[in-house]
Amino acid sequence: MTDYLAQTAVLLAALWPKLVAGFLITVEIATAAAPLALVFGLVLLAPRMDRRVFISGPTVAFVELMRNTPLLVQIYLIYFGLPVLGFFPSEFACGVAGIALQHGAFLVETYRGAIESVSVRQWDAARAIGMSRLAALRHVILPQAAMKILGPLGNQLIVLAKDTSLVSAIGVMELTMTGKLAIERSAASAEVFVAIALFYLALTTVIGGVMRALEYRVAGRF
Amino acid sequence: MINVLVTNLPYLLRGALVTLWLALAVVSLGTLLGTGLGILATGGSRVLRAVVTVYIFALRGIPVLVVMFLGYYAFPALGVRVNAYVAVGVAQIVYVGAFTAEIVRSAILSVHPGQAAAARSLGMRRGAILRAVLLPQARRIAVAPLLNNALTAVKQTSYASVVGAWELTYAAREIVERTLASFQIFLGVMAIYFIICYPLSLLARWYEKRLVVPH
Repeated sequence: MTDYLAQTAVLLAALWPKLVAGFLITVEIATAAAPLALVFGLVLLAPRMDRRVFISGPTVAFVELMRNTPLLVQIYLIYFGLPVLGFFPSEFACGVAGIALQHGAFLVETYRGAIESVSVRQWDAARAIGMSRLAALRHVILPQAAMKILGPLGNQLIVLAKDTSLVSAIGVMELTMTGKLAIERSAASAEVFVAIALFYLALTTVIGGVMRALEYRVAGRF
Repeated sequence: MINVLVTNLPYLLRGALVTLWLALAVVSLGTLLGTGLGILATGGSRVLRAVVTVYIFALRGIPVLVVMFLGYYAFPALGVRVNAYVAVGVAQIVYVGAFTAEIVRSAILSVHPGQAAAARSLGMRRGAILRAVLLPQARRIAVAPLLNNALTAVKQTSYASVVGAWELTYAAREIVERTLASFQIFLGVMAIYFIICYPLSLLARWYEKRLVVPH
């Protein structure tokens, strides 16, 4: 037993610099993809909620396609598809783009859900006292929606952080790929993935904690 | 242009069949496991509750792909010889189970505590309270999240291809390597996944709408 622990410790110590390097790339992917996804979701929001069907229709179709197909296949489509069109983006860029596109499609529904969860009477009341649609949205609906959105937003960001592992499938040397190569190329064993799991757990726990702290602060302001 | 997709469609459909079987096994066994654990997480034993809570917390914070690699490499390390499907399937069942357990746990806890108190004051035992009072009410709340959970699980089966199990996504990659028709094949595969997933999606939304009580 002590032998086993000592061996595992030596193994992990030798791999430590590589694991940290992989972890940093994972964090990089997440920090690149998260803002893109948040903005992309916002960009989709107006056409998604448009009353004219020829605008909302295609948006709904795109959002549903992204939400009902695996992220892995979407990343493959971008990575293997763009070169056919004459574009050669890096693996990193393809991964980030794939994650941003799918999570943007999930986020637009999150935004929409939060806005629609604010009672219609709030709309009516704001309009009745003479506010324009934009003013009602800005001063009445959005502040209430913002409070309801932080919980689902935090969950989505945690899923996003975990989804960065899929970028290993197109060869980016992030945390998961580092573990796979360590096992395939050296004598490392399954324990490596326990260590990797702990890295991810730390990342998602921090994101969850930050989002919850944010929720408390926003809730305290109203 | 579309010819590549048509000629390779039988191969892709064979992959889709494997995906369906994998999804069926993962969703049914994962939901079964998670429901049991979710009920235990609201039960009386403090030790069991702690164990399930740690299980839920740990699994939900880790990418499913990492759990699948862990399963793929851990079985041989423990001296158990299994094929890729079993390794990947068990990993996904354990993963889906954690999410299911959290849904079931919070659905049971969302039933007003007065309900259990009233049942207890009538002299009902713990098992009877669970079966006749808590679970029927919790089920209403849990159905839509469980369907969304199943939807995610179906999409996750595609990650099995990364670990080396042959299914729809794996088949697609083989064809693309041979024909270089990446757009036709991957878009076709997306269409197949969409056909499998969209009904689940619609069903989940229908249940969500049914739950909303108008203001």
